[in-house]
Amino acid sequence: MTVPNEHLLFLAAILFAIGVCGFFVRRNSIMVLLSVELMLNAANLTFLAGSRMHSTAARPELSGPIFAIFVILVAAVEAGVGLALVIALFRRKQTVSLDQLNELGD
Amino acid sequence: MSVGAILCSLVVVSARNPVVSVLSLLGSFVCLAVIYLLAGFQFMAAAQLLVYAGAIMVLFLFVIMLLNLGNSAEESGPLDRALLRARRMPVVLAIGAAVFLLTLFGIETQQTVMAADPELVERGVSSLSGLAELMFSTYLLPFEAASVLLLAATIAVIVLAKRGRTQLVADTRTEVTP
Repeated sequence: MTVPNEHLLFLAAILFAIGVCGFFVRRNSIMVLLSVELMLNAANLTFLAGSRMHSTAARPELSGPIFAIFVILVAAVEAGVGLALVIALFRRKQTVSLDQLNELGD
Repeated sequence: MSVGAILCSLVVVSARNPVVSVLSLLGSFVCLAVIYLLAGFQFMAAAQLLVYAGAIMVLFLFVIMLLNLGNSAEESGPLDRALLRARRMPVVLAIGAAVFLLTLFGIETQQTVMAADPELVERGVSSLSGLAELMFSTYLLPFEAASVLLLAATIAVIVLAKRGRTQLVADTRTEVTP
């Protein structure tokens, strides 16, 4: 029994939609970063499903997994820089809520 | 497994406590790793567990505990926030549904074969040697660029964290001297 490719794509779509909802609803900057991680994971799953769709047993298509590795790397970088920014903000303003960071707005 | 991943992700965006949502995101990542394994991507499953579940989630948990955000979920007043969310909710759900439907449309209009070759899955889609060969030949330049990106990010994080500390020291000094 093998996993059909549509199911991977459906799962990726659902996860991405959940991540988008979380990104817009949550006002805590750490939660927003977590939602971004969720969306990156959905993108990863789509890359892998695409690679699986286009490869045969004789000639596997490996670009998908390679891009997925790069996505994981970018996610790690994003988490590191994002969390450093959150820490710097918390030191300055004692809050991580995005609603209270409005110096640029007014 | 997919159901587990979806449930965990729903908890991620709906939990009030950041620690709960980080832990459920961890559950979602583990479910995804099992799915990768079942789909024939053994190395990706290992990378997912090691990098995401091992490193990134520990970083998130560490920062949440460092900033002591454990039980103060969100800062603005509860009534205020409830109103804000009630107004924002339909728009957000519409965006989510639109993304989902667009993707479904994309999947439906695809003409390629959807059934995976069982022999392919048995052998593993991404053999490690194949991945390594491709990464050090075709994708050599992106690989080097990625290493430079990692170095730059490391330096940036150190500078960000350090500048905050010196500023704090400077602030306390100016408070003390006058």
